[in-house]
Amino acid sequence: MMPARVLRIRSTPLRLTVILSVIFTATSLACFATTFFLVRANLTAAILSDMQQTVDTFGSTADLAELREHLTEAALTTDPAYRILHFLPDDGAVIANVKRAAPVSGFAVLPGSDFATSDRPLAESYQVRSLRIGDGQLIVAQSRDSIIEMAEVFAAAVLMGLLPAIGIAASAGLWVARRTQQRIGTIQTALSAITSGQTAARVPGVAGRHDDLSGIGQDVNDMAAAQEALLVSMRQVSTDIAHDLKTPIQRVSVLLDQVMTKTDLSAAQETLLLRAKDETACIVRTFQALLQLAQIEGGAARDRLTAVDLTDIARDVVDFLEVDAEARGLILTTDLTSDAIVAGERQLLSQLLVNLIQNAMLHGGDGGSIQVTVSTGPDGVTLVVADRGPGIPEHERSKVLQRLYRLERSRTADGNGLGLALVAAVCTLHRAHLTLADNAPGLAARIDFPKPPSGTGMFAQGPHLPQ
Amino acid sequence: MKILVIEDDAATGAYIADGLREEGHSVDLIASGADGLVQATIGTYDVMVVDRMLPGLDGMSVVKTLRATKNATPVLFLTAMGGVDDRIAGLHAGADDYLVKPFAFGELSARIAAIGRRPKMQDDPISLTVADLDMNLLTRKVTRAGQIIDLLPREFALLEQLMRRKGRVQTRTMLMESVWDIHYDPLTNVVDTHISRLRAKIDKPFGSELIETVRGAGYRINVA
Repeated sequence: MMPARVLRIRSTPLRLTVILSVIFTATSLACFATTFFLVRANLTAAILSDMQQTVDTFGSTADLAELREHLTEAALTTDPAYRILHFLPDDGAVIANVKRAAPVSGFAVLPGSDFATSDRPLAESYQVRSLRIGDGQLIVAQSRDSIIEMAEVFAAAVLMGLLPAIGIAASAGLWVARRTQQRIGTIQTALSAITSGQTAARVPGVAGRHDDLSGIGQDVNDMAAAQEALLVSMRQVSTDIAHDLKTPIQRVSVLLDQVMTKTDLSAAQETLLLRAKDETACIVRTFQALLQLAQIEGGAARDRLTAVDLTDIARDVVDFLEVDAEARGLILTTDLTSDAIVAGERQLLSQLLVNLIQNAMLHGGDGGSIQVTVSTGPDGVTLVVADRGPGIPEHERSKVLQRLYRLERSRTADGNGLGLALVAAVCTLHRAHLTLADNAPGLAARIDFPKPPSGTGMFAQGPHLPQ
Repeated sequence: MKILVIEDDAATGAYIADGLREEGHSVDLIASGADGLVQATIGTYDVMVVDRMLPGLDGMSVVKTLRATKNATPVLFLTAMGGVDDRIAGLHAGADDYLVKPFAFGELSARIAAIGRRPKMQDDPISLTVADLDMNLLTRKVTRAGQIIDLLPREFALLEQLMRRKGRVQTRTMLMESVWDIHYDPLTNVVDTHISRLRAKIDKPFGSELIETVRGAGYRINVA
């Protein structure tokens, strides 16, 4: 589990920094190691050749007495910390500059503790050679302290040079990575703000810089500016259309009102006028619904989300619509948990619920029941409106969420085909997940609201309004 | 009441002005934002009806300017836009109410009456009385002709709303806003159903109707 975690560093700059640091460390260590082994090989060769020279000197002496003389003199003058000489003749006394030597044959590397002197210091480690010369066994041990010192110097070099270098490289890398990450972060923040509808969001601090990240930031800003301009002009157009068309509709309805105040109308005329008024109202409602959809999809209301209790809203809406359900011979039942807090816009959530319940009442069959459930779970709040009607065929479930789409069998029923589109838009605005499922029989519209973010940011006191 | 109407569309303006005059109000009709602002400043009005979209100075700016100069005359916004955002923007600018075009005249008239004669926030009354109907707001007991009437909480709220504004028309949307906190068009006439339930309890058993249906507008509970 853990290694997989470590390998999956999501920040590209950080990942590159870690990889570079690892490569840098490995290369440096390899360099140090190669140099160390070369130097050690050289030193060992020098020691061996020095030893060979000593052995050769004694070996070239043919006369045994002369050899002993040579050895005695050498034992007297040679510092055992540098070189140990130990000659054990087949007969007679030992000639040596140490008191004791380990029994050894051929070549060996022995620690200083294998030898002993009366009072003089010894080296830590010796390159030892034991061979037969003249009438005895000669042990020559050459100090290896130069190699040990060299190793110590190398260790010090690694400790004092390489480790700080790695440290400096890693922290410099991390600093650069953090900075780059921050800059990428600002681009990401701006991008997600823009895509969630805040078209005024921009990547800060791109002016005056001329590197690749600033270039991307600038491109994002240009794109957002173009999008914003487009959106503004689109909103302007729809506002203009709304105004331009609603004013004549207003006039028509005024004119109809004025005709209706005339008393000499026949019953048939009055019926026709009432129908004309109803149709006018219908045009307005569809228009209004389309405008509202566009506005919700614009996402601007996301700034106004505050902590609202979905159970409160559900209770109000059910209380409001209950009499309507009863009049239709339907039973509206509820199962509401308390404290179902979501980050939401009260009016839009209320309208969402009204639409879902009305949809269930219109298409949920006769004499059935409609169940409204609000429950809380670890991942947030779930709202379900379920009916026992004919449901929606699976292949049509995503289509009914599109605006103006209506099922074949519903074409003659009330409604303008915008109710579920509004539900879908309100869900998107709330980052809630809408699923239309089979209630076997019937339709279960389930909405999962995300857990409201903790902290106060999201829940800054919403605008307090006179009602 | 003395009412200032700022509306650039001549037909709608005349419709509003004529209708209000017929109801006995004194109406000044102005067609542009700048002129309207001047008129609002020099004249004294009980209510102003302001179109949000006006040539030149728009309705939002007119109301913001008035509020900035401590002019507290109640304002009803008229608008072609009816989204929640627009309602909030309008109320934030300082408007007292908000009406989406096209509207029925009855709705406009009822809303003007509501904001123009906002009950002075005196001590909350303990009980409301209309004819032989009594509502005790503390004990939440309702009696008519001495007989106790059992009301559901929402029926109580609906009746309270009507009784607090006795003699004045409450439209269906006004009732939805005040009783159910619904500030959008729920595309249903369920308010009528609620009213008929209420009538079945407070009117039917007693033979005389206190809750009156005002055609093309809404409901009213009558004083006498």
